Amino acid sequence: MKITNLKNLKNEGTENLPSKERRCFLQLGLSITGVFLGGTILSLTSAHNATGALSGGKILTTKSPYSPHYTMVIREKHCIGCEKCMEACRSTNKVPDDGFRTTVLERSVPVAPDHRERVFMPILCNHCNNAPCVRVCPTRATYKDTVNGIVQMNTDKCIGCKTCMTACPYNARYFDEAIRAVDKCNFCYNSKLKESNGKTTACASACPANVRVFGDLTDPTSHAYKLIHTSGKVFWVLRPELDTLPNVFYVES
Amino acid sequence: MMTIEQNFDSKPSLLGTSELLFTGLTLLSIIGLSFGLHSLLVGHHHTFGTTREVPWGILITPYVFFACLSTGLCIISSLGQVFRIEIFQPIIPRTVFLSLATMATGLMCITLELENPWRVGLNALSSPHPASNIWWKTTIYSLFLIFMLFNFLALLVKNEKMARFFAIIAFITVTMGNLNMKSDMALLGERGFWNENYMPLYFLSLSTLCGCAAVILFTWAAKLLKGKPMNRAEELAIQSTGRLFMVLLLAIAYFTGIKVMGGFFPEFTKNPEAMYNLVQGNFFLNFWIGEVGLAVVLPLILIGVAGVQNRTTMAIASISCLVGSFVLFYDLVIVGQLIPHYYQYNVVDLPQYYPYSPSLHEIMITTGAIFFFLAAFIFGEIVLKKMKIKS
Ligand code: SF4
Ligand code: SF4
Ligand code: SF4
Repeated sequence: MKITNLKNLKNEGTENLPSKERRCFLQLGLSITGVFLGGTILSLTSAHNATGALSGGKILTTKSPYSPHYTMVIREKHCIGCEKCMEACRSTNKVPDDGFRTTVLERSVPVAPDHRERVFMPILCNHCNNAPCVRVCPTRATYKDTVNGIVQMNTDKCIGCKTCMTACPYNARYFDEAIRAVDKCNFCYNSKLKESNGKTTACASACPANVRVFGDLTDPTSHAYKLIHTSGKVFWVLRPELDTLPNVFYVES
Repeated sequence: MMTIEQNFDSKPSLLGTSELLFTGLTLLSIIGLSFGLHSLLVGHHHTFGTTREVPWGILITPYVFFACLSTGLCIISSLGQVFRIEIFQPIIPRTVFLSLATMATGLMCITLELENPWRVGLNALSSPHPASNIWWKTTIYSLFLIFMLFNFLALLVKNEKMARFFAIIAFITVTMGNLNMKSDMALLGERGFWNENYMPLYFLSLSTLCGCAAVILFTWAAKLLKGKPMNRAEELAIQSTGRLFMVLLLAIAYFTGIKVMGGFFPEFTKNPEAMYNLVQGNFFLNFWIGEVGLAVVLPLILIGVAGVQNRTTMAIASISCLVGSFVLFYDLVIVGQLIPHYYQYNVVDLPQYYPYSPSLHEIMITTGAIFFFLAAFIFGEIVLKKMKIKS
């Protein structure tokens, strides 16, 4: 489905939405013109005027508390499901065989009454600004980096209670037996970011279709910044109804 | 408030049986708990049924169950100790000890549930996180254990003033813990845990209900063990506890009704998928037999028919309620986690529910913990008798 076709979609109204999202949506006092991709992700205004989606839009209206403010923009429709990102992540970050920091989900999206479309949806830690995993950790083994906004692990402090794994709504965490601690995506902070001065991550550089665009939300020259600050472009975050304020954004193209 | 046996019962007692029972239960407990040590050594990955998607397994159940039971027992002991209601005073020493033993059992379960329990002491103190309900929970319950221990020791040395002092602070502490329990679960609402508004009152009623059941059951068992009938004061105390039990059963029946509504009508709940799974889905046997039948209906019928005077019926009603409540806590911990994270996203091959079933190790540790508590109960009876505390 092309983004421009959104305008032509029949307005399904809020009654067809899952109740949680409907509540959240109504609380925000917004109006709906179309239900975007399978009834779970919303377009808030007509495609022509769209600038943001639910809580994903919030951070753009205020000054960023981080500098650099790392983000990843996923150009979802370009993903071919080759899983090269997963391999690159695994080898770069010594991810154990039974864990993953990123994966690619395949969705079957209803686009017409008798037609479904296959879409690949890469997922990774959203480095939420309002991160449930950070909030629940009893020993601060999980913490939000006050400089760059990355949700980091201090594995020495992890008692292995797995509350963070239970609380993360995105299935972004795993327990690494080798280090006896929970681990997760850290935007390749230890393996790449520190040295390459914040330029890229393993999954982003391995992607043959440039699906993953890593960047800095405070840098207007960053490709990621431009992707979500283009007028008329719809972007969204996953599970917006939970108000976790993710820093991973999804765009159509 | 408590009375000292002036002439220690010289009739032949079954104390020998108590010691034998204590030894047997301790051995069983050691067998069960040794599975916990094995898991610590080799890592839970090899021994537990938990997964990345369902990180909390059955061991959270005895933790929450015993912690709530301890809370309830503390509340009942407080009726006599803190609020000085005379009728509840004869059962204070046993109730205080049971509260202490249940909390110790609960904390032991959570310790064996952690992958790195040895890091807790240092990191919880050197790197505390007051925004974390889990941090509060561990801190509050650890403090409670200490206060309750002093409460019991003061009872043993017959220092009533000191006992009451510790009873008051233990009561305040554990009430905070109970309220915190709601926030704990609410925060995990992101995963479809129960974050309904009725939770604080629900937990408090449930805790007190379990406390009543335990007082009735273990007073009955203690008398059976000693081969002595209850004296009149104890009988009256147990009957009053039975009446409170009855009222709380009705309260829990009301909350169970709310769950039923949520299970059948999504508009009554914030977690329709989880509630459906509980009431009509894979957990429906747990729900209808455990949470409805054993926890509420059977005890209500038994007490309704036989009245609070029939001690054996009351004991059966209490066992039924405790078993049903254990199932309830299991459901509470597990069901919410089984809803897949991306269930709203039409993901191909996503199961309707994540799978989880307890492993042998988890079951053995849970069983070991229950034996540990039973052994502790017998130990408490031996101590109370040796110290000539009338109970
Ligand atoms: S996606 Fe999960 S692990 Fe990552 S910051 Fe958000 S809650 Fe934490
Ligand atoms: S498992 Fe580790 S990182 Fe996660 S909440 Fe517990 S202590 Fe924190
Ligand atoms: S940013 Fe790095 S750690 Fe995170 S998913 Fe990509 S490769 Fe893995």
